[in-house]
Amino acid sequence: MDWVFLTELAINGALTGLLYSLFAIGLVLIYKASSVPNLAQGGLTMVGAYVVLALARDVGLPLWLAIPLAVVVMFGLGFGIERVALRRLAGRPVVMILMLTLGLDIFLRGTTLAIWGGTSRSMELGVSYDPLFLGDIFVSRIHLVGAGVAVGLFVAFMLFFRTRTGIKLRAIADDYMASWSVGISVERGVGLSWALASVVAVAAGVIWGEIQGVDQALSLLLLKGLTVAVLGGLDSILGAVVAGIILGVVENVGADFLDPLVGGGSRELIVAAVLILTVMIRPHGLFGRHDIERV
Amino acid sequence: MQEKVEAQPILSMNSVEVLYDNVMLAIKGVSVQVPKGEMIALLGSNGAGKSTTLKAISGLLKAERGRISRGEITFQGTDITQALAQKRVEMGICHVIEGRRVFEHLTPDENLTAAAPSGMSRTALKVEKDKIYAYFPRLAERRNSQAGYLSGGEQQMLAIGRAMVTQPKLLMLDEPSLGLAPFLVEEIFGILQKINREEGLSVLLVEQNALAALEIVSQGYLIENGRVVMHGTAEALKSNSDIQEFYLGGGEGTDFHNVKHYSRRKRWLS
Repeated sequence: MDWVFLTELAINGALTGLLYSLFAIGLVLIYKASSVPNLAQGGLTMVGAYVVLALARDVGLPLWLAIPLAVVVMFGLGFGIERVALRRLAGRPVVMILMLTLGLDIFLRGTTLAIWGGTSRSMELGVSYDPLFLGDIFVSRIHLVGAGVAVGLFVAFMLFFRTRTGIKLRAIADDYMASWSVGISVERGVGLSWALASVVAVAAGVIWGEIQGVDQALSLLLLKGLTVAVLGGLDSILGAVVAGIILGVVENVGADFLDPLVGGGSRELIVAAVLILTVMIRPHGLFGRHDIERV
Repeated sequence: MQEKVEAQPILSMNSVEVLYDNVMLAIKGVSVQVPKGEMIALLGSNGAGKSTTLKAISGLLKAERGRISRGEITFQGTDITQALAQKRVEMGICHVIEGRRVFEHLTPDENLTAAAPSGMSRTALKVEKDKIYAYFPRLAERRNSQAGYLSGGEQQMLAIGRAMVTQPKLLMLDEPSLGLAPFLVEEIFGILQKINREEGLSVLLVEQNALAALEIVSQGYLIENGRVVMHGTAEALKSNSDIQEFYLGGGEGTDFHNVKHYSRRKRWLS
């Protein structure tokens, strides 16, 4: 057993996992404030990346300006989605809202395809690809940067949910009717959660766009992001971070053992197994809130 | 039946009709007045239209696809018939909805924070919370546990406390006694009376438990089939023989009596 190699696999797995968390935090934000799993988060992430590119390449702004501007644009887009599409469905069965987010995802993919085409564009953040050695262990710089962003957002949102606005959002997720009854604007709260999730989408879009290029495939991050969010418990930001690390490590180390046996492709199988087993064995994930049943 | 004449009611509801889904008429011309600083009860059996009346006043009808199709509601002289629920809370109407409905995954303390008006300062909120904890010492003890695990009585107290954070002038409660042991009902009603006295808060109380309600209110309205069929002081209602037999469990309820009651009930509806 090569311990150095195994550690390297685990560390890089954990870093990749934190990038899944970066994506999953967006899902958790919306779930935490409206109890709806947002199937359009993949589409939003892709749009986030495209908006950054549009501002940087097509308009010609420097990246340090394009990214904050994209954050503002996407923040507005998130609010807009609530205003135009979700408001009518407030209080309706979750399944209907779920289908709406699915439709939104398809719409976003179609729109980006129509505007920017299908060819992959590169983000060119300027992060060096020279290997970084921590002792004997090789780490990817961009993964390290992304993991840092994920941890930063994690801390920011943990603090946010303790503020008064954050508490109101959690109240909305618990009970729409009771929220209305004490004057909480459910509509604005849901809008805010979408706006924040869209901001997270910019972060995830930029980092993942740098790693794998900006194209339609970015929206497929939804599958891994959803797995991480479900494993973490859907409404727990801490859960998303821990679950991301777990999934990343299991996937990276597991694939190293399994790939030689099955001839490759075991990564996807591991992700699928984690998702299915979580739902079967522990439906509220690692840190999810339990439904309170009273006798 | 003696009608008390008030100078300026804080809430006045005139011949209000409510339609659900544009077809179902839930209340058919209900008129209710709440005098400032008084406690009023809406009595009646299941499905009579009591909750709908409260929702018409608080604006929560909209969430259930209901709307006011006729009549008007004024609060402190302002027409609020079509105002948004949020606006009405800001104006000072707070509705403690049926079934307690606390925010289960938040702590009691966070439940109170969630209801704070957006303009309320940190210190004002602190003062308000301390006041609520003083009224409900049981909540103070459990302020940091999860609200979903509080007992039924504690949850009802929390629901009332949460409404008080919104600084209401009119507090409306929908069946606060539902599913609670009699001693708890007594405790909660006692606290309500105290709040009414000390804060000058007007209260509109919907109850099936007429016996308990008539002990603390000054006037009551009896609603049947979406209409007000009786209105009077608590004393007058308590001594009314129909009320006694139907709602207070008095009288000798034999089959023969029931037949007679039915025809009497008919007379109210006409």
